[in-house]
Amino acid sequence: MRPFAYDRPDTAAAAVAAVADRPDAAFLGGGTNLVDHLRLGIADPGLLVDVTSLTSTEIVDIDGGLRIGAGVTNADLAADPRVRARLPVLAAALLSGASGQLRNMATTGGNPLQRTRCPYFQDPASACNKRVPGSGCAAIGGATRNHAILGASEHCIATHPSDMAVALAALDTQVRILGPDGGRTLAFTDLHRLPGDTPEQDTELAHGELITAIDVSYPRGRHAYRKVRDRASYAFALVSVAAVLDVVDGTVLDARIALGGVAHTPWRAVRAEDTLRGGPATEEAFAAAAEAELADARPQPGFDGGNAFKIPLARRTLTATLRQTTPRETA
Amino acid sequence: MTSTETRMAGRLGDSPLRPDGTLKVTGEFAYSSDLWHDDMVWGVTLRSPHPSARIRAIDLTDALRVPGVSAILTAKDVPGENAVGLEHLDTPALADGVVRYQGEPVALVAADHPETARRAAARIVVDYEVLPAVTDPRTALDPDTPWVHADHDNLVRDLRIRRGDPSPTAPVVVSLDFEVGMQDQAFLGPESGLAVPDGEGGVDLYVATQWLHVDQGQVCRVLGLPPEQVRLTLAGVGGAFGGREDLSMHVHACLLALHTGKPVKMSYARDESFFGHVHRHPAWLRYEFGARETGELVYAKADILFDGGAYASSTPAVVGNGGTLGLGPYRIPNVHVDARGVYTNNPTCGAMRGFGCVQAAFAHEALMDELADRIGMDRVEIRALNGMVEGDLTITGQVVDSAAPVAELIRTVRDLPLPAEPAGERDIRELPGGASNTTHGEGVRRGIGYAVTYKNVGFSEGFDDYSTARVRLEVVGGEPVATVHTAAAEVGQGLITIEQQICRTELGVEQVVVHPKDTTVGSGGSTSASRQTYVTGGAVKAACEAVRASVLRRASEALGRAELRLDGEKIVAAGGEVVASLAEVLTDPVEETVEWRHRPTYPIDPETGQGNAHVQYAFSAHRAVVDVDVELGLVKVVALDTAQDVGRALNPDAVVGQIQGGSAQGMGLALMEEIVVQDGIVKNPSFTDYLIPTILDMPPMQVKVLEYADPHAPYGVRGVGEPPTISSGPAVAAAIRAATGKPLRRVPVRPEHITF
Repeated sequence: MRPFAYDRPDTAAAAVAAVADRPDAAFLGGGTNLVDHLRLGIADPGLLVDVTSLTSTEIVDIDGGLRIGAGVTNADLAADPRVRARLPVLAAALLSGASGQLRNMATTGGNPLQRTRCPYFQDPASACNKRVPGSGCAAIGGATRNHAILGASEHCIATHPSDMAVALAALDTQVRILGPDGGRTLAFTDLHRLPGDTPEQDTELAHGELITAIDVSYPRGRHAYRKVRDRASYAFALVSVAAVLDVVDGTVLDARIALGGVAHTPWRAVRAEDTLRGGPATEEAFAAAAEAELADARPQPGFDGGNAFKIPLARRTLTATLRQTTPRETA
Repeated sequence: MTSTETRMAGRLGDSPLRPDGTLKVTGEFAYSSDLWHDDMVWGVTLRSPHPSARIRAIDLTDALRVPGVSAILTAKDVPGENAVGLEHLDTPALADGVVRYQGEPVALVAADHPETARRAAARIVVDYEVLPAVTDPRTALDPDTPWVHADHDNLVRDLRIRRGDPSPTAPVVVSLDFEVGMQDQAFLGPESGLAVPDGEGGVDLYVATQWLHVDQGQVCRVLGLPPEQVRLTLAGVGGAFGGREDLSMHVHACLLALHTGKPVKMSYARDESFFGHVHRHPAWLRYEFGARETGELVYAKADILFDGGAYASSTPAVVGNGGTLGLGPYRIPNVHVDARGVYTNNPTCGAMRGFGCVQAAFAHEALMDELADRIGMDRVEIRALNGMVEGDLTITGQVVDSAAPVAELIRTVRDLPLPAEPAGERDIRELPGGASNTTHGEGVRRGIGYAVTYKNVGFSEGFDDYSTARVRLEVVGGEPVATVHTAAAEVGQGLITIEQQICRTELGVEQVVVHPKDTTVGSGGSTSASRQTYVTGGAVKAACEAVRASVLRRASEALGRAELRLDGEKIVAAGGEVVASLAEVLTDPVEETVEWRHRPTYPIDPETGQGNAHVQYAFSAHRAVVDVDVELGLVKVVALDTAQDVGRALNPDAVVGQIQGGSAQGMGLALMEEIVVQDGIVKNPSFTDYLIPTILDMPPMQVKVLEYADPHAPYGVRGVGEPPTISSGPAVAAAIRAATGKPLRRVPVRPEHITF
């Protein structure tokens, strides 16, 4: 860890200005990811700007949904009665992530910005285009069982580790952002980006832009979040699925689906949704939706056996989740 | 007056509260990482990033400029012999010109703050010439593979067992190849300790370890000091499981302390801990059984390869156990075993709970199931049929001269109640994936698996295995008090409680003080090989007997009476008359020190592997019941029931605790625990990425304890700690095979092996 300065401005705007002013500055929220990275030598900001008390810790009602302050902890968000009743997919995703201790610290603004758990990204001695642009990708051909099957590039095959973000990607979610030039709003599904040839850039946020709140609309339909992992708790997803399906009289009126553990982003399953929308909620339709979504999936070979298993695993998890979000009498 | 036997809590057979129990549960127990000393400085270790490299030069210039740094040491600062090791002195205390594994210590820094020391370490410039690394143990012995050590080929130990017909045939032949991944001990207390210079050229080291005296010998060699000047005291140990048999920071802290003249604390971070201790050997096993159509084994062949990594550590003993015990607790007339351990540039592997047997058991138990299926025999009954009984010969020709209840153990676990068959809507927490809503039971299949295994207790093959106990009896404030002093390490297993129980039972006193474990008393031997209750227990018992004899001799002289005995805290004559109280006789303290040995063992014949290698065998069986989601590849262990012969349960709660913990550790290897090593580099050195079972993964257990006393052992005890780690994993693997129909010839079993 190299020495860094620590600043605690009085307002969010001042924090934004402070970070925007210095290319090596970073926001510090709950610290559950960044502090680890400081210790591991993955991140070495020269200035940490503490925003833990600068964004809202309130969850307020807005028209048809909730505005979640960026400072709301994962624990508080998962426990909120409105979230539990109207956004159960989000509550379930939150509770399947990390540990109770981490959820007490991790924030709404910070969680979607956590960086990949790729072991080559985590190890400063490994080549990693995300950590050191242009250095190469040691993950390709390495231990790849946790890596991407969708949207990977020859420069990066990392996955996004968040559970919460998978639920937010499935929902109608807007990200409220404060930047040096004022505020803007971004659809959550536009926040994260595929690696392409600039994997160092996880999101579309510009340097100095701060998430201040997240707006989520209540969807119609039944919710489910399924997570497949190597042990029953405290493990990242091999594959996860967030789904909200609005089925009336056996017909899918609307489908909101996202996959976790499979891509550089929380993966909005647009093809699956399109396949389902307007059609019957049947096993055949679910299978076709999964097939469509995973048509372009590509396994990563690896010395550990690779991740080809994730393709059928994603297919099966997706269809099982769709089944669960469909009223029994129609399935 | 007649004597009355006063029943006192906390004797043998009871389960008194552990003296350390409450403190540990409430978080008040002082572990080695909590040690503190005024004016202490912090030591950190600079480690090699390469698995194989030559060190051309080390430049300390920039590092020494960091304010707060008080010393930086490299191999050239080692005053004595730069060589440590449990069995071979092949391990430099600090790398001297070459590094042989990722994480090998290269330099030490002492500074006034750990972060300062780390920053200074980062400024040390080591000029490495990276060399090709030997990372595949399967080709380590090939003639064109480079030698990991310039003065030695890559063979650490080659063991062969040849018994009976050299070319046996049988009507039924089954074979398999099996692979076991590298497991970590995953103790929670990091390697840590405090070295305090005594101002006269010597040092006191407080450290978490498994064997103070073998550490002391190694530290002395490196420091070039006699044992009187290197005194060790056991600090609070947060788990060991074999991972603290080798030195970690011991020598390093002492070097820094003697160099700076200040107390030096070292405490590894979690990621560093993965490089700070040895791991369980990964193994490649090829097995063949020949049997009659009625199920009796005719012959067995095994070829076992252990990856020892960069240094020998315990590899010779691991090969010894894997070879001599590697065919399981079965009666086999014709035997052909080859077991080898090799050097590579992978992480060093050494002692871990059940070593040698853990790896082999996965293979022999999978093959026993295969044999049963081939001839259409019940999987339990084939084990009962072939299982050893007392009086049988092992594959090394040794007579099993105490209980060997293999048939009873395996039938006992079979007959324990099974968990209820799933019916109706299921609580998802009981399903694979648990509370994260992974499945609602759609693709879930149940399977049941069995395993029975055995393990040697104590050190084997002629090792002079002993322990020392000093017991003092005195009157304090009118009450008799016993003090028991051994150097045997309490690592969490409960030895200090056992020592108290033995003293209470033998001496009839209620108050027993356990003296801190240190090197001012003779060696207690290692807290490993399930041996301490047997060997140190034997030493404490013998010391108590000597104390009792002294007390009675003194009483006889003082009272002019013969034929006295101790009954509780009373001195009683032959007729039962109380003639004095213990307190009356103990005008001066009585103290006796005894060095106690178990029966000798002997080296095995190098050509045939025959010989009386072991002192005692401990047997256990497990039945695992699993629910497997065959669509997602996830496993929920529903039940993990076990039966084990413990000889005699001196502390029944501690026995059950050992069995539960050991079973969890074995299950972890079967399901999830593996250090992933790619080209000699560890890819998952954290508890986020190296997974161990949590309470959600662990099922309730039915534990059936059998007590067939071993007439050769003190109180009839039989080692307890390791057998459960050996039989639980193979039972879990067998249950997954039963549920899925997949061969599953590698552990840990992952979702991709089950389903895809």
